[in-house]
Amino acid sequence: MPILNSVYRHREAGRPLTELAAYREAGGYKALESVLGETDADDLQYAFVRSGLRGRGGAGFPMGRKASFLPKDSRLPKYVVCNADESEPGTFKDREIMEMNPFQLLEGLTLAGYAIGAVRGYIYIRGEYEHQARVLDAAVRAAREAGFLGKDLLRSGFDYDITVYRGAGAYICGEETALLESLEGKRGQPRLKPPFPAVAGLYGSPTLINNVETLTALPPIVTRGADWYAALGPEKSPGTKLFSISGHVVRPGNYEIVLGDTTLRELIFEHAGGLREGRRVKAVWVGGSSVPVIGEEHLDTPLDYESLQGIGTALGSGGCIVMDDSGCIVRACLRLASFYRHESCGKCSPCREGTSWFERILQRMVDGDGRMEDFELLESLFRRVSGKTLCPLADGAIAPIRSAIKLFRDDFIRVCQEGSPRPEPMLPASVG
Amino acid sequence: MDADRIRAHLDPIRHEFADPRSLVMPALKFAQTEKGHLTREDMAAVAEATGYSPSFIESVASFYDRLYTRPVGNRVVSVCVTLSCMLRGADEVWDALCEHEGVDHHHGGTSADGRITIQEAQCLGYCDKGACIQVDAEETKGPYTPEEAVKLVEELREAPTPAELWR
Amino acid sequence: MAEYAPVDLTVENQVEFELDGRRVAAPAGTMLADACYAHGVEIPIFCYEPRIGPPIGACRMCLVEVEGMRGLQTACSTPVAPDMVVRTTTDAVKEAQDGVLEVLLANHPLDCPVCDKGGECPLQDRTFKFGPGTSRYVEPKRHQPKPLNLSHRIALDRERCISCFRCVRFSQEVAQDGELTMQERGARSEITTFSGDPYRGRFSGNIIDVCPVGALTSIPYRFVSRPWDVQNTPSVCGLCPVGCNTELTVREGRTKRVTGRPEPNPAVEEGWLCDTGRWAYDASWSQARITAAVVREATGDRTATLEDAVDGAAALLRGRTAGILVGTAATVEEAGIAADLAGGALPGAVVARMGIPGGALAPLRALPGAQLGDVDDADLVVVAGGDPSAQQPVAELRLRKARRFGATVTGCGPRPHALEALGTFIRTAPGDLAAGVASLAEAIAAATRPVVMWDEADLAGEPAAAEALAAAIAANPAARQLELGAEVNGSGLRALGLPDAGAVLDAVRAGTVDALLLVHADPLDAPGRAAWDAALEGFAGPVIAIASHADATTERADLVLPALTMWEQEGTLVSMNGRVQRLRPGARGPEGAAAGWELLVALAHRLGVVPGYRTAAAAFRAVTAGRPAFAGITPEAAGVLGVPLAAPAQVAGASAPPPASGEGVPLVATRTVYGGAAARRSAALADTAAPAELRMAPDTAAAHWVNDGDRVVLRSSSGESGRLTVRVGDGLPEGVVFAPLGAPGSPTEGVLPADMAPVLVRVARVEAG
Ligand SMILES: Cc1cc2nc3c(=O)[nH]c(=O)nc-3n(C[C@H](O)[C@H](O)[C@H](O)COP(=O)(O)O)c2cc1C
Ligand code: SF4
Ligand code: SF4
Ligand code: SF4
Ligand code: FES
Ligand code: FES
Repeated sequence: MPILNSVYRHREAGRPLTELAAYREAGGYKALESVLGETDADDLQYAFVRSGLRGRGGAGFPMGRKASFLPKDSRLPKYVVCNADESEPGTFKDREIMEMNPFQLLEGLTLAGYAIGAVRGYIYIRGEYEHQARVLDAAVRAAREAGFLGKDLLRSGFDYDITVYRGAGAYICGEETALLESLEGKRGQPRLKPPFPAVAGLYGSPTLINNVETLTALPPIVTRGADWYAALGPEKSPGTKLFSISGHVVRPGNYEIVLGDTTLRELIFEHAGGLREGRRVKAVWVGGSSVPVIGEEHLDTPLDYESLQGIGTALGSGGCIVMDDSGCIVRACLRLASFYRHESCGKCSPCREGTSWFERILQRMVDGDGRMEDFELLESLFRRVSGKTLCPLADGAIAPIRSAIKLFRDDFIRVCQEGSPRPEPMLPASVG
Repeated sequence: MDADRIRAHLDPIRHEFADPRSLVMPALKFAQTEKGHLTREDMAAVAEATGYSPSFIESVASFYDRLYTRPVGNRVVSVCVTLSCMLRGADEVWDALCEHEGVDHHHGGTSADGRITIQEAQCLGYCDKGACIQVDAEETKGPYTPEEAVKLVEELREAPTPAELWR
Repeated sequence: MAEYAPVDLTVENQVEFELDGRRVAAPAGTMLADACYAHGVEIPIFCYEPRIGPPIGACRMCLVEVEGMRGLQTACSTPVAPDMVVRTTTDAVKEAQDGVLEVLLANHPLDCPVCDKGGECPLQDRTFKFGPGTSRYVEPKRHQPKPLNLSHRIALDRERCISCFRCVRFSQEVAQDGELTMQERGARSEITTFSGDPYRGRFSGNIIDVCPVGALTSIPYRFVSRPWDVQNTPSVCGLCPVGCNTELTVREGRTKRVTGRPEPNPAVEEGWLCDTGRWAYDASWSQARITAAVVREATGDRTATLEDAVDGAAALLRGRTAGILVGTAATVEEAGIAADLAGGALPGAVVARMGIPGGALAPLRALPGAQLGDVDDADLVVVAGGDPSAQQPVAELRLRKARRFGATVTGCGPRPHALEALGTFIRTAPGDLAAGVASLAEAIAAATRPVVMWDEADLAGEPAAAEALAAAIAANPAARQLELGAEVNGSGLRALGLPDAGAVLDAVRAGTVDALLLVHADPLDAPGRAAWDAALEGFAGPVIAIASHADATTERADLVLPALTMWEQEGTLVSMNGRVQRLRPGARGPEGAAAGWELLVALAHRLGVVPGYRTAAAAFRAVTAGRPAFAGITPEAAGVLGVPLAAPAQVAGASAPPPASGEGVPLVATRTVYGGAAARRSAALADTAAPAELRMAPDTAAAHWVNDGDRVVLRSSSGESGRLTVRVGDGLPEGVVFAPLGAPGSPTEGVLPADMAPVLVRVARVEAG
């Protein structure tokens, strides 16, 4: 079903646009054609700023402003890097874009390249998305053949090409400086900042890094105008956002909503089909697993950056994980703790050692060997680790657990004493 | 795999990178297509083809979950065990597969006949399809029940080994 | 402590900031951690090690509060800024420090009482000063297999490792040997070599010094001592002419360990040592060590007390005219006193030094000289001839550092070597170094701060090249030269004005001397040995050797006086580029041995002349008096870090060598410290000992009818070599053969002339491989 006010053309069209012809038919590459040779790069950057588009990778930094941080007078080549590492638990929106609408991403990446005067764009895609990487490879080839990539794009004098670079399985490579390290052929361990990538990024050159969804939003911003985009949703965080919803919901999937227009309750119960009969919402990680967990009482919060921040959580990547009252919050926390322990890159001591420690304590709790002093210990460890690490991964590990202990203290105390038997999962009907 | 084959694989993409070190990852991925994992010789060949030290090559390979510096079975079955999939029965799928293949329930492992490796995966980005499974480096599928998952590995056991799946 | 970068608080235009309520200043760009240390505030660090490279911010130990900045900042990576307000003792800082130490100690075995690092361990110290009192970790600890051998010399205890990355960064960035890396990820991260192979490197031991915990330890030192029952003595390494500053760890009169100085010498080694310099000390109790005086009589050898032996030596020398030959590793004091004998106790004696005559090098040595530390600031570093990695090991690290700092590295020379990868190097035909030099002149002229390193041995043999290089350097007033010397104390002996060994050789041949006194001199193992062999064949007078180890010459001596080694005695060495530095005694040495200078003083006494000095320091003053190179230099002035000579150490009366004569293929001789003579005497380094191999390219081998593995001898106009094994290798230039100096039995030395003039050799197969 086509969606009104959709930023993503495959959604608007209601079908995959993996062929260049189909994408063109749906209005594809009109933005690039209108800009190349016509619009000044600075004007384009300014349009991005005016649109109010914020980064969709998690941090929500205004896209146009980030582009404006790149030095104008650098003698080094500039690059745009598209962060397609999508590994945040609960998040699978970029996958849909790359799978169904690869050209819009390429077009957006090319527009960004033009706006900053880049020589090449890289799409760093997680290694597990081999299928999506192949879709992108084919799209790059088609775009190159059609003159949308390569030398002298559309005879504008602008040379630009795109490389699809595959990761090999490491969540941390979604962190922008770890991504750059990985793209440079090294272990994906975050760099010390400053310098920021805008000044010294890929190969030490000024580099703009944006998420897939962020870059894919650029073509409609050009064709329909920055003002149109800025008028969607709240003033400070306009636009539409793809929410991935999963867990104990009947219709897991991606849903595009206009920010601020939809509440969490609507997302879960209207878009995602609600829960199983007789179940109630227990816990929601609304912006991926690295945000504080919230409970039923916040279901009527509108989905936008400020509102979610207002209730003590964050919009994050828009990977909304829902757990109903059949689930065990301590087990959920343990599972996330294991995730972060597994994904800690090991560069900085508090995270490398801390994430292992968190996991061990939670494991003891789930096994019924928790002690009352473990709460104080955990809280003290959180205090000692959070905000003191080299990159935000450790904070992401702490936020969901720390908030869960606050919110569901009774469950934790019960589990500490009795342990937590494995609850019944929500099983699928058949292979989908 | 020998260094010349790796070099030949890298030649067409060399110009895409300002620093040849970026070729290390494509080289490792390509070298792994031959045996499914990277042997000492494979890593030495990557070192030779790219000009970096074998130790550096191994340090890179060992960082990433999907580069295997230890032998794996003919088919690698990655079961997502992260939160969304857990809520949708991933642990049950995992247990059923470990049981069926006779491998350790904590760490997974390779079946005695060497055909199937069962390994845990962290969120595969298919949470809407939880509990989901990725086979080798092919597309992830789901949702799986434990029974369907067992059927899947049975089919895989019979199916021929995929040749070059990764670029 | 060496872990912080030295901060010069005397420069102008410093940045003022507030440190814990005090107004202080430091030069712009100084990292907070270093600035604080300079002002007496110790900020705990683990991963930061400014000598290794820029900060990486990994350990998070150094967090401090900076007003106006969100959260705590890593002091190791935050440069001082004007009016910055820094607090290092607040509750938040304390909490962060507790936190990092708590997590680091969670899985740490806490086995300090049995740890070699115990008592000198930054982790232990910092836990004591900054850490939490108790552990709240009740989970099972991560266990690792107990210490494994990273190499024959380095043990790794993974349980103690805190993953600070210092060792791997040393390997990757400083030594650039590519050997040591961090593998796996997260809590499973571990440092290792490729597939756990032994760590192969010329500088591997430095990782022990930089490790802030007891994870990396020296195998020869394991469980030998505890830091509280040893003395540490600052000294210098006497194994090559670089003159690295060292620290000797001494217990019960023995040298138990050699390490880089905790306060390194920025002008020389910067705290790094080569593996030879670090581990060769066990040579002082090796089999070849002479522990008692030997008197060789018709009835056989007998040992003697030192008293008797010195009396015996005096008796042998009395009334004779002696030739006195001083070895290249002899100290300034030993050489100076030996020279003094000629004026008193042994009137008419002819005194000379071993080593390269170097008559052609005067113009180069007269040019403004550089210290190794100056290489850091160079924009161009030229390496003319030689093979620094093999011959002046620690100079390699400076070159690599200069390259890392953006300098251009270039050079020329006849032999392939490890540093050629750093830049453009021109391979010159043997005897045609001048062509290479000519091609470098333009670059030297164009650079703003060039340092030209030149190889003493190679340039000594090619006067035309030396002259051209001197002219090229002189043409740029900003250019400085840095001699890559061939011999440990070559500069010191020259600075004393000793002529080259030819003077004694001629006297022996002419019969104008009728006794020989050898002071750490081994002419039968040195280039030119064929001539010495012949001369000694017909020499009827007594030969007396002062030596620490048995060698070809002591075998022929009539009397051997056992001397102390560089790890045991006091004295002065002058490094290749003229830095005067002091040896300080660590170990006592064998009962029956004495310092060379003391033996010489005793000998003078017995011969009836009482020298005016009784201590090494007094001897130094006496023997250097009136020598312009030593003007104003006293042992006190040399201090702990040494001082440059007052004037270049020029040679006395040597002539330039003639061009190559004879026929055959050109031979390029290669000196090596790593795996050289010192390694052969050391059990710890035994595996590094370089084999006696003649290397050549395939076509060259074919042209001489030899194959890989054949055993051959070489003949030149200077003599015949011992046996060498042919190694055919790709990547070597054709039309030239390479042979090592200092190989077991000194085979190559037999075909070389003492003046290092280029030689042509014939290759004769004696045994098929
Ligand atoms: C541990 C960690 C993982 C991250 N993973 C991703 C990711 O998978 N995809 C992504 O776009 N951004 C990810 N980010 C955020 C990026 O660092 C970066 O902010 C983002 O790519 C910028 O793009 P945007 O401004 O368009 O959001 C991650 C950050 C952290 C700290
Ligand atoms: S916080 Fe964790 S993931 Fe980030 S740099 Fe430190 S160890 Fe690596
Ligand atoms: S072995 Fe020592 S130097 Fe190396 S990472 Fe571990 S603690 Fe640091
Ligand atoms: S470089 Fe020379 S002086 Fe320095 S440690 Fe090695 S052998 Fe000794
Ligand atoms: S949690 Fe399994 S795919 Fe995301
Ligand atoms: S010393 Fe500053 S982070 Fe390690």
